Amino acid sequence: MRKYFPVDELARDQRFNQVTMRDRMADPRSVLSDRPESAGARRGSNRLVPSRPDASGAARALMHGIFVGEIQALEGAGRTCHDFRTAGDSARRDQDESAGLPPGDISDAIPFALKLDMARQAWDEARHVEISVKLSDWMGGEIGEFAENTVLFQAACSTDPVLRLAGVNRALEGLAIDVFTTMKEFGDLAGDPFLEFCEDWMLADEVTHVKMGSDWLRRVTENDPDRRKAALEFQAVVDKLFSYGGTRSDSQESPIGLARRFRELAGFTDAEVEGIAEVSLAALNERKASVAKMQAAAQQFTDA
Amino acid sequence: MSVTLTPASFTFVSFDAAVIETIADDLVRSLGLHTHPVAIEVDETTPLARVQIEVGDTITIRAESGAFEDTRKPRQLSETATATALGRVLLRARDRLSGGFGEAPSDDQLSLAQMAAWESYSVGRLERLGITANQQRWRYNFRNRHGFHDQSDAAFDQLWSSEGLTWAELAEISRAAVPADA
Repeated sequence: MRKYFPVDELARDQRFNQVTMRDRMADPRSVLSDRPESAGARRGSNRLVPSRPDASGAARALMHGIFVGEIQALEGAGRTCHDFRTAGDSARRDQDESAGLPPGDISDAIPFALKLDMARQAWDEARHVEISVKLSDWMGGEIGEFAENTVLFQAACSTDPVLRLAGVNRALEGLAIDVFTTMKEFGDLAGDPFLEFCEDWMLADEVTHVKMGSDWLRRVTENDPDRRKAALEFQAVVDKLFSYGGTRSDSQESPIGLARRFRELAGFTDAEVEGIAEVSLAALNERKASVAKMQAAAQQFTDA
Repeated sequence: MSVTLTPASFTFVSFDAAVIETIADDLVRSLGLHTHPVAIEVDETTPLARVQIEVGDTITIRAESGAFEDTRKPRQLSETATATALGRVLLRARDRLSGGFGEAPSDDQLSLAQMAAWESYSVGRLERLGITANQQRWRYNFRNRHGFHDQSDAAFDQLWSSEGLTWAELAEISRAAVPADA
């Protein structure tokens, strides 16, 4: 079985249509407009709450995003179990060396207990996929109803296991904490008992996944400060990417808020949470500037 | 009478204006609104999906591009989404013109529960006209506005299967869907 699976070869049936982050950012339209609300609109914030007139549709779209995110998280955790060997796995090392890897190189070795944690995470994510499908049905959604953004799995493609922990367990699963908190609150406010309970249970798992990432990142890089620094820098890049151009931030302009309390429980320091808040806000402002530029260019084209 | 659409061609999205006009024209005829001129204005600068309607000498529909979009393929047109979005507001216009909805508040004064009730009534009728509709989607919207309980579901079923309601009847179904102790 090959290592390091490319994102464009993920197995999906004909119901799915995959798009990249580049596709998404090339869309010149935006909900982040500085224009005044049109007549009849009742919206003062983009935060996903039941009082939004489009709440049901927006929640259904986010539910589909969670569903495909869970599939990709399952694929990512599963790949991490397989892609990296333990230091003592001689059979696997022979196999890797015969496939062309440098003899005796164990720089990518990971502790066996870390592999077990990734296996447990894959099991959790599989359960989350099933829960998300049922919640989608409940909300009137359909599998493949929305385009699948593959950016989550892309963060799980690093060949360095420490970067995987930073990108997947801390950035991706950290985003999951923010999303599940938003959805749990939505279910609570709307009086939807299934949504609230299911999101709460999944949220508990996500806090555990982030905590595993935080703990392993610390342990694996205990005697290698440069590697730890590189991992945290990579996490900052992924956090900005996962802010989806402002979809997640402390600002009320973002549909998804930053779940500070649950992030704290998952092992993020106050300084780290502040750092994520800053990059998320920067992503929001960059997206607004980029949209304004694209809209001006499109308007020029229309006027010409 | 004719359906007019602006813009005639799209820059931000890959929509075919002729397809939208054809869908609108078919709907206008099947809903018996062909004696009224219909003007559709699409705001393609936003992916949001709000649709507003003004009923005067001309029926004016202002739609954001997300209302007509194929959510599987961003920026592409969905004929089903277009028919559903236009059909919902055109049915609301027909209700208002029919006389039984004289005391209905204007669209921007409707409560979220009243709007959900009217949408359920409209989409049920659209489904019977042959337009594909996911009933569970509209039931979920109705539950979000009236509560998650049997009383709410029964009210939704009544609205979905009804024809010829007046505003007073529709508003009463919506009001009674919420338990007194809620």
